[in-house]
Amino acid sequence: MNVTAALEFIRVRAWRALFLVWALHLSGGAYAQIAPPDPGALLSRLPPSWRDDNGEILSFSSLLGQPIFITMAYTSCHRTCPTTISRLTEIQRDLDIRGIPAQFLIVSYDPSNDNPAAWRRYRAGHGLVRSNWHFLSGTSRDTERLAGLLGFDYWRDGEHVMHDLRIVALGGDGAWRGVVDSAHTDWQGLM
Amino acid sequence: MRPGRAAASAACLLGAYCLCQAASGADNQEDRVTVLEEKLERSLNLIEQLNIRVQELESQLSNAKTAPPAARAEAAATVPAPASAAQTQTRLENVEQQLTQLADTNAARGGGGIGVPLHGFADVGIGNHTANQPGLKGANLGGLDIFLNPQLGEHTRSLFELVFEVSSQGQVLPDLERAQIGYQFSDAATIWVGRFHTPFGYYNTAFHHGQEIATSLRRPRFILFEDQGGVMPAHTVGAWLTGADHLPEGKLTYDVFFGNGQGISAGLVDPRSSGVANGGSTYGGNVGYVFGDMLHGLLSGLKVGVSAFRAHITDDRQIAGVTRVDNAGVYFAYDTDRFEHIGEYYRFKDRDLHGAGFGQRSSAGFLQLAWRLPFATPYVRYERAAFSQNDNYFSLQVDGMSYYRAAMGLRFDLDLRSALKFEFARTKNTDRVISSWTDAMLDYAIRF
Repeated sequence: MNVTAALEFIRVRAWRALFLVWALHLSGGAYAQIAPPDPGALLSRLPPSWRDDNGEILSFSSLLGQPIFITMAYTSCHRTCPTTISRLTEIQRDLDIRGIPAQFLIVSYDPSNDNPAAWRRYRAGHGLVRSNWHFLSGTSRDTERLAGLLGFDYWRDGEHVMHDLRIVALGGDGAWRGVVDSAHTDWQGLM
Repeated sequence: MRPGRAAASAACLLGAYCLCQAASGADNQEDRVTVLEEKLERSLNLIEQLNIRVQELESQLSNAKTAPPAARAEAAATVPAPASAAQTQTRLENVEQQLTQLADTNAARGGGGIGVPLHGFADVGIGNHTANQPGLKGANLGGLDIFLNPQLGEHTRSLFELVFEVSSQGQVLPDLERAQIGYQFSDAATIWVGRFHTPFGYYNTAFHHGQEIATSLRRPRFILFEDQGGVMPAHTVGAWLTGADHLPEGKLTYDVFFGNGQGISAGLVDPRSSGVANGGSTYGGNVGYVFGDMLHGLLSGLKVGVSAFRAHITDDRQIAGVTRVDNAGVYFAYDTDRFEHIGEYYRFKDRDLHGAGFGQRSSAGFLQLAWRLPFATPYVRYERAAFSQNDNYFSLQVDGMSYYRAAMGLRFDLDLRSALKFEFARTKNTDRVISSWTDAMLDYAIRF
């Protein structure tokens, strides 16, 4: 190897070394360069506006700051929904004991029948009068979308809506925390 | 730096060094560097993806099984992702965005992107008589009811119910009990075409073939489905307009339908699903009112209504006859968290169009009272049918005799998808061949 070839060899090695140092630098600093993802992404992806049992528009974004429990039900359901409401009541009771404020959203599976008057009647009939419980109805499209995003599987046969017990827990930042259903009953671990 | 990451970086360094050695013979140094950069970048991307995956699994191990697809997509997005370059970060963001869009699209479609969800019902029984064939006893298969209702679009609806039943000879018989495709104009009007449950009274449209959905162990005898011996035309093949109008203090429901005139074949009512050879039609309607806020909500959950239909029924005698069946009925259903009370009463005035012109009068009805208690739902039911045996419509049917039945039962909901039912009943046929028997039955019904 002559001197020119040796210098060329050293130059190439030097360039490669510099490149690797640069690459490793980028790799090591990546954690700091990426901004943390939006923690409220799930809530923000749900259809934003729903009509409550007072006939007023409720925006999901206004509920941020407290844990949120979302379930789906319909007023003429007399088998599964009473169990779901009973479960929510238990959660509310436990939260009260712990002194944790929370929001409870009950979204109708059957918006064509569950207008604000129907929800008001349901609410009064079941003694569910707390202001942090919101009984909501939306459009059919928004209902399907919310159910899909939160994993509520349901299907219709005439007046019946076939569904299961499911309560989705979101954190105060609107991010997914977990679910309560027939197989997962420990909601406290979700907080 | 975490050990895993240090190892990955070291592997990357080693790999890059080897690549450098391999490339040292190339004539064009710039090309070699470019190739090296590309390979290194690919390696780093791979390492990053693996890191993301590992962290995702670690952070979501506790709740990954319960999260819906959309939430899993979001969870993947919430994992702090290392990146080596701005391009990599951009690419990852693009992938994330695409995943999110896919999840949202699937969610909005309601199907999860896996085709048509399969639902159904099944039940098995045991007793000193089977539920609908008193000549048999012991254990028996009730039915397997496959239920499909694919979401086809914003307005198009469809519903298919394929039932596998076991005949008294032990043969498994598939039967397309319902096949209806409809267009929903609004909540107030949906038009269905196909084979549907004839909208008379309340019970026939409120409860389908899956036994799990009904409180009682079996349907009232005279409104059993045709192949079980029911004397009413439980199915119609034709068109059905149905809807509801929300009023200030309640809801008005309506149904109007017409279709093929049913027939009587081999002693059973035949809905003529493939069409009719000699004409004949059936048509009718149903109007109901569901109480809402009236009287401070005291009647909330109560539905009352009237229904009527006319059917031209052909039979399979050598010289086929045609009977015009005129049916009118009243019904109520009081369905709340505490009660499920149902009552129906029908009167028939049938006329043999090829014979004497006198109308034959018959009647049938039932009253069922059920109480939804925390541990179970007990119920009682009384049925009475007085069918004229001079009426071809009844006399040609195997189970067209008059009868009464008193029953009491208990439904236990083992969970939200399965129920155990017990029923004791006393039945007496009061004409044709007078006989009576007592049933003691158990039925285990599920849905899925």
